[in-house]
Amino acid sequence: MGTIRIPSARGSFRVWQRNITIFRKYWKSILFPNFVEPLLYLVALGLGLGAFIQQGGINGQPYVQFVAPGLLASNAMFAASFESTFNTFVKLKIDKIYDAIITTPVNAEDVVGGEYLWAGTRAALYGTAFLATIVVLGIMFGQPLVTSWWALLLPPMLLVIGVMFSVMGTLFTSLIERIDLYAYYFTLVVTPLFLLSGVFFPVDDFPAPVPQVAWFTPLYHAVNVCRELATGPSPAVLADIAWILVFTSVLALIPVQIMRTRLIG
Amino acid sequence: MNTETERTTGTLSGEHTLVALGLKKSYAGFEAVKGVDFRVSGGECFGFLGPNGAGKTTTMKMIYGAVIPTGGELTVAGLDVYHHEREIKRRIGVVPQENNLDDELKVEENLLIYGRYYDLPRKLVLRRAEELLDFMQLSEKAEATVEQLSGGMKRRLLIARALLNDPEIVVLDEPTTGLDPQARLLVWDRLRELTAEGKTLILTTHYMEEAARLCDRLVIMEGGLIIAEGTPGALVEEHVSPQVLEFRTDHRSLEELVPIIEAASDAVERTGDESILAYTEDADALLERVRGSGAKIENTVYRQAGLEDVFLRLTGRRLVE
Repeated sequence: MGTIRIPSARGSFRVWQRNITIFRKYWKSILFPNFVEPLLYLVALGLGLGAFIQQGGINGQPYVQFVAPGLLASNAMFAASFESTFNTFVKLKIDKIYDAIITTPVNAEDVVGGEYLWAGTRAALYGTAFLATIVVLGIMFGQPLVTSWWALLLPPMLLVIGVMFSVMGTLFTSLIERIDLYAYYFTLVVTPLFLLSGVFFPVDDFPAPVPQVAWFTPLYHAVNVCRELATGPSPAVLADIAWILVFTSVLALIPVQIMRTRLIG
Repeated sequence: MNTETERTTGTLSGEHTLVALGLKKSYAGFEAVKGVDFRVSGGECFGFLGPNGAGKTTTMKMIYGAVIPTGGELTVAGLDVYHHEREIKRRIGVVPQENNLDDELKVEENLLIYGRYYDLPRKLVLRRAEELLDFMQLSEKAEATVEQLSGGMKRRLLIARALLNDPEIVVLDEPTTGLDPQARLLVWDRLRELTAEGKTLILTTHYMEEAARLCDRLVIMEGGLIIAEGTPGALVEEHVSPQVLEFRTDHRSLEELVPIIEAASDAVERTGDESILAYTEDADALLERVRGSGAKIENTVYRQAGLEDVFLRLTGRRLVE
């Protein structure tokens, strides 16, 4: 009441630890779809559509090489968005897991902090598995999809991207009472971001105001960062990273406060 | 369970471990708790009775930090709830009204994960988990998932979980609701053991027998207020006559009977169209007068007055929701 609550590192870690304990029991059975989906896009669009794109690809890059890192970013968005929407909602309203946690020295604000970290971790885990796959596929088919050692920074970057989308998803979760309202979030936020943030075509080449609008959206920057790290970054990548960090930190404390008032009457 | 003497902050019997003064909670346009006072001593079992919606659960939640009071004072284990949220939660155990176990995990894993929230070392948690599962007769189920447990077992596991941090105060919101009689007896027995160990118990219940057996003192709440307070015996003595006669007969005869019984007893309660309860100091004398009147009686039941009579006297017989 009145004071702004900030998650504690200890409490957030405990919540993260709970989630990873459960994940470790079930990861084999849930990894598959999360992993195959970006692969399907890569095959259908990267190879299928890519075959029709003129020699020279996009800005001199083969199309499949252009698409792959973008899918890495969008995959992180999907992983973190599912975690912070449906999974969080079930823990909040159906299984009442958070009600149990907040009777212990772990506070409501720590619950949200822990969920951010966990969604980021999950995005990084799936993303790294997908990254390893595209590296291997690239080598197998003689068409390298990742060409820079900077790509080693992709897993931590995917964690940051995951946290960003977790903050957005948690904000929506903190405002709704019914699980079916997520249809709005996915149709009006996640899907448009997926299609229009430069994963499949470079938005920067469009006339104004398309690039200007894209600049205000989170996935656009995530795609830029992933693409640059995969192929060797230019200094411009720092601006995208800064955008992600500023956006995430400005937004992060809002769901914390709302969720706290939901959990504590 | 074996008490470990590593507790740093023992409660001295007789010291007030829980004090509420003018405690209030209102939600937009609704006052759930309208200013209540109570003091609970260390080692005491203190009960909250009251119909649904009386404010019992809200009061429990204020004690364990899931609801922030909108007025008044509340200290738990000597700490102010407004400023020592985490510290209080470290020192209490909570059995919530609704099951909120991790269904996907095994029984033992539930306790292990819970122990981490208190930063307890894994070895200690493993040992306590074993002791507590034994204490609540769940040892055989340690490897079962929560989904496989019966409702009664889940409640017993909730109690075991609440004891993991060896709390000074255990808050139990309807600990035996939905239990079969055997499980209820087990829980009663274990709760008595806990008070014998010196733990303070705060519980809500709808079962008068439970309150009478377990509680050293209790309050009855209604409409957000405490309307009576005392030991179970004192409450019975104060609010109702010691003997109860229940007369059953058909509707028409009952109408004739009412004035006769009313004149000869301390209080009467209509319990339906065909029965009436009479409270009296001397049941034999009352029965004789009623029989002497020649009115038709189908059935008479005699019993000692109890907490249930106090409860119904104070909160009314009608269903209010």
